[in-house]
Amino acid sequence: MIIDSILKSVDLIPAFPAAAQRVSELLSDPDYAVADVVNVIKNDQAIAANILKISNSAYFGSRQKIKTIQDAVVYLGQKQLTRVVQTASISKIYQKGGKGYASQARDFWEHAVAVALMSQILSRMIKDREDPVLYTAALLHDVGKVIMGEYVWEYFQKIIGRVNERKCSFLDAEEEFIGINHANLGGRIADHWNFPQEIRDAIAYHHRPDMLEEEGNAYASLVYLSDQACLMMGLTGGVDALAYTGLEDIMRHFDLRMADLEKSFITLLDDLGKAHDVLRIG
Amino acid sequence: MNDIIVGISDLKVSNNPVDALVTYALGSCIGVAVFDPQARVGGLLHFMLPDSLLDADKAKATPAMFADTGIIALFKACYAYGAEKKRMVVKVAGGANILDDTNYFRIGQKNIMAMRKMFWRNNVLIDSEDTGGNFNRTIRLELSSGRCILKSSNGTVRNL
Repeated sequence: MIIDSILKSVDLIPAFPAAAQRVSELLSDPDYAVADVVNVIKNDQAIAANILKISNSAYFGSRQKIKTIQDAVVYLGQKQLTRVVQTASISKIYQKGGKGYASQARDFWEHAVAVALMSQILSRMIKDREDPVLYTAALLHDVGKVIMGEYVWEYFQKIIGRVNERKCSFLDAEEEFIGINHANLGGRIADHWNFPQEIRDAIAYHHRPDMLEEEGNAYASLVYLSDQACLMMGLTGGVDALAYTGLEDIMRHFDLRMADLEKSFITLLDDLGKAHDVLRIG
Repeated sequence: MNDIIVGISDLKVSNNPVDALVTYALGSCIGVAVFDPQARVGGLLHFMLPDSLLDADKAKATPAMFADTGIIALFKACYAYGAEKKRMVVKVAGGANILDDTNYFRIGQKNIMAMRKMFWRNNVLIDSEDTGGNFNRTIRLELSSGRCILKSSNGTVRNL
């Protein structure tokens, strides 16, 4: 069975970078010591290098020029630092690429970043604040594709044939031919990494937040809307394109109209311009 | 051939026969390719939204963002290179939608309507159109021949 070999691949996927986990833990205590955070980051050279590449990006908005990890920890502040560390770590995971979906690993990363930036735009619009947990969930939403890509590659003609002939979603076609869809598979990877339930659910249900109980689906719904908006804007590069279901109840739930979505497109284009350095580490 | 990339909310014009104007990953956005075979001037617009009334400041700074201001800016930029309206060949592609589309997500459909209205109002005929569906499109306009190649993410490649 394909599904057995897929689930085995989940067990073999490398651990989520320990430095990122540890930094998140440290930063969750408002009284964190700068030296502790700096030491943890310095232990992972790849993440440290990425942090230096993106810390001066206009998107993260530091007024001081950041030249060292020490500068980054001091000047970025808890919320931005959490996002910078997550971005620097998760880009390593996406580097394997999304063969089967996107022709280049870079397109795959750009989509993940675009959805993460959009999640913060919608969060500001709806909740009047940004949300680092939502940011992490949004950045990781397509992590299932890292494993799934191999199989989508193999079954591509069948899947796309079904999508074209029956107008079913790419998600349903994945399930029909492979036995699991990329969102649920991503949820299993998040489980494997011991992520909290809200992040796991947001990944596993990012195309079908309507299948979650209402109280648990705020993150999933926002990741869903962010993803749909990016797919519409063409920020995908993937073969699945726009072949996903529109759920008007989610829009109604947040009291959003199409004009709000249109405005969020404009803001995202501006934010992507400011996040140029972030796109380049993928 | 020298590829000139047209980004989202962007337009480019050229009369250099070695150039090709290319725009990638049109989802709900629409690409408008125009070519004057006599002046050998071509232009490509990648607009994102239907109506500049949504944000007048943006429309001023980035007219290529909207159907109404973008199409006017595209034609004006071509006239500056010697193109004439009556000779211009117009080809459009994009305007895709997500599935089970409701009035909450129909930006692709709104873009198509706004684009057609602009051309109709200005007495311009669309020579070739490939819009709708739920896949991404890439357009490539070759200045040497005026040939316009359309590539779709569902696997097809053809002349538009």
